[in-house]
Amino acid sequence: MLKDIAVSNSPHISKPLSTRAVMVDVVIGLVPAMAAAGYYFRVRALILPAACVISSLAAEWLCNLIRKKPGSLGDFSAVVTGIILALSLPPALPVWTAVIGSAFSIAIGKMVFGGLGANIFNPAMVGRTFLTASFGMLMTTWMVPATIPAALSEICPENNVEARTQATPLAWSKQAIKDENGALIYNEQQFRATLTGEVGGCLGETSVIALLIGGLYLLLRRTINFHIPLAVLLSAFVFAAVFYLVDSDAYMQPFFHLSSGGMLLCAFFIATDPVTAPLTRRGMWLFGIGVGAITMLIRIVGGYPEGVMYSVLLMNAVTPLIDRLCRRIPAGGKPS
Amino acid sequence: MRFVTKGRFSFRGGVHPPEKKELTRDSEIQPGPAVKQVAIMLSQHIGAVCESLVNKGDSVKAGQKIGDSDAFVSAPVHSSVNGKVKQIALQSHAVLGRSMAVIIDAEGDDNPASQPSHTEFTDSFDIDSYSSAQICTAVRDAGIVGMGGAGFPTRVKIEPNPRMPKETLIIDACECEPYITCDYRIMLEWTKQIIAGTRLARKASGCSQVFIGIEDNKPNAIEMISRTLEDCGDGDRIKLAPVKTKYPQGGERQLIKAILRKNVPAGGIPPMIGVVVLNVATAAAIAEAVVSGTPLTHRVVTVTGEAISKPGNYYAAIGTTVEDLIEFCGGVTESCAKVVLGGPMMGIAIADLKTPITKTCGAITVLTKRQIGRAKYEGRQTPCIRCGRCLEICPENLNPTKIAHAVKHNLLDVALAYYINACMECGCCSYVCPANIEVTGYIKTGKIFLARQKKKMPE
Ligand code: SF4
Ligand code: SF4
Repeated sequence: MLKDIAVSNSPHISKPLSTRAVMVDVVIGLVPAMAAAGYYFRVRALILPAACVISSLAAEWLCNLIRKKPGSLGDFSAVVTGIILALSLPPALPVWTAVIGSAFSIAIGKMVFGGLGANIFNPAMVGRTFLTASFGMLMTTWMVPATIPAALSEICPENNVEARTQATPLAWSKQAIKDENGALIYNEQQFRATLTGEVGGCLGETSVIALLIGGLYLLLRRTINFHIPLAVLLSAFVFAAVFYLVDSDAYMQPFFHLSSGGMLLCAFFIATDPVTAPLTRRGMWLFGIGVGAITMLIRIVGGYPEGVMYSVLLMNAVTPLIDRLCRRIPAGGKPS
Repeated sequence: MRFVTKGRFSFRGGVHPPEKKELTRDSEIQPGPAVKQVAIMLSQHIGAVCESLVNKGDSVKAGQKIGDSDAFVSAPVHSSVNGKVKQIALQSHAVLGRSMAVIIDAEGDDNPASQPSHTEFTDSFDIDSYSSAQICTAVRDAGIVGMGGAGFPTRVKIEPNPRMPKETLIIDACECEPYITCDYRIMLEWTKQIIAGTRLARKASGCSQVFIGIEDNKPNAIEMISRTLEDCGDGDRIKLAPVKTKYPQGGERQLIKAILRKNVPAGGIPPMIGVVVLNVATAAAIAEAVVSGTPLTHRVVTVTGEAISKPGNYYAAIGTTVEDLIEFCGGVTESCAKVVLGGPMMGIAIADLKTPITKTCGAITVLTKRQIGRAKYEGRQTPCIRCGRCLEICPENLNPTKIAHAVKHNLLDVALAYYINACMECGCCSYVCPANIEVTGYIKTGKIFLARQKKKMPE
């Protein structure tokens, strides 16, 4: 009897959980945001994610082929990268640009480092940075949500609903710092619009409610820890509040900054990418605080209206350092 | 109030693997197989290996001492059957690979392993008739070692040591490993004996307080022990501490943390903070050794797992081979994929079914492919996604992935900087890893490398 019993290290059982399951969970968490995008930007919300996902998968497959490595499409991480990139793109972006961007994300953002787990930077943000640098015009051309009737052109002065383009709230806030009319622009109506997502902005970043639902799902499933999202949002809030308290005419309310732009997508889905975030709790706090603060620094002081992608990349770069600084002390204290 | 913790306290981290205790939870302790041959390992404990006291061809009696050592940290071994020494030879050993064993052919028919009778622990038991020194000597002579797994000689643990005075005795009745129920059955069936053993151990060690730590998934055992404690004179000093059901709650460091809210220094041992931890089965053995002078030649073994036809708890002779025990339980089913000495989290997978059981072996778990998990069975490991799950559950608050990857890339100094030696090898990190990385395996390998390195280095 018993010819083929296996011998290996303990433990001999393992939790039925795989990398793929973790990634699928993230995709599920992104579904509300994708649905909201579909509602406001109609067919664009189908084309862009599809193009990004297919291009990501193709790029990963090709890279594996070149590196003569076993296929890794099954872990679904390329799908997650594709969707996140698509959701952070302007809805009007031409498909070919999105295809280039996601191929770049995977090839340069992930595979050159050695594939999943070895990359230093968040692949989706690498791709987005590349697109911003290469196609600046296209990356700042915004679309008015399909649900806004043409008659409502008075929402904001420079809106051109006829041409169906609209500046994002973040662009107004940048302008407001110059004009000192922040309070004028950000009113209750605008606040409600950002909650539902009926404003201009990136495909999946506009609807606060959808992002919160998705984020909550990931938190409840324990796919992400609360440390990074909380740290990002808290530090951004505090940063914005300080400016707001100093000069409430020029600067927007802190809540404005939390609810607009890529802040929520970043807090729940981008900064929490485990591969590029620190491992320890203290490290996560530091990382999140850094992401929130740098984003706000760029938004308020820097030259761009949005700072999420640069702040994530910057903090990614210091993640190894954070990990080294924030070591865990054994439960029994340091051995003497 | 006898209940001190009400199951709220625990340690940080840990996992909840499927308990699987239902396979054998209700099966009473049965006599084990009447074996034809036993192989008594000369090393069944931590410490010096015993010298054989018998020669080939000698006749031995059950309970006769057949191996001993002069070293302080060691414990003698005894024959578990009447018979004749066939030879003294190398035999597969679960922990050491191969080690010397006295192989004895059983003779006569008074060899079936019958359980001790328990009346002596109830009616005539009088704690005052034993002195501390007497108890220690009896424990040493009976060859008692920690029966929970580590196998540290019990006498060394309980003997008063002026440099490290002992204050608290904790009886570890958690049995947090999945599948295993031998301690649970002992608690239900040998309750009085356990209490007697606990009182003897308390007396020998001079501890002022005693806790019995039980996971709160064993309400029957808690009830049974608390009732028995009420009937016994020393009961006030022995407190029952139900603790949260979580693996590895039965690890001594974790149990101390849960009950006393104290940390044992990393790399240190419980006596450093005045605590002695004994397994329940050890307590039972102490009672037997002191009261009836019986050496440790038999123990309760849970033979379990989905691939065993008739799982159960058996009172088996030490030295019985795994094969004999499995056959006694009706053999294994088709789907058998792994035979593990011990439980699935910390047990040792064996390749040679002729491996004899030792004093520390509480269970034989035979797992199927399904229980192991496909990816794990095939050894498919994917890259670490740094998800942090292993950090979160590590009961020793380490950074398992960092240590494992340092070992993988042969950076032993990095592994040391991340406190590789504080790892208790509980296996939680491998258990939770979604990438299915053998984190614990790497860490164990790293420890072996470090030990070798140390040996080679000049003084
Ligand atoms: S659980 Fe596995 S994948 Fe997650 S950090 Fe630890 S080793 Fe890496
Ligand atoms: S590192 Fe060691 S102590 Fe921590 S979970 Fe892994 S095996 Fe257990």
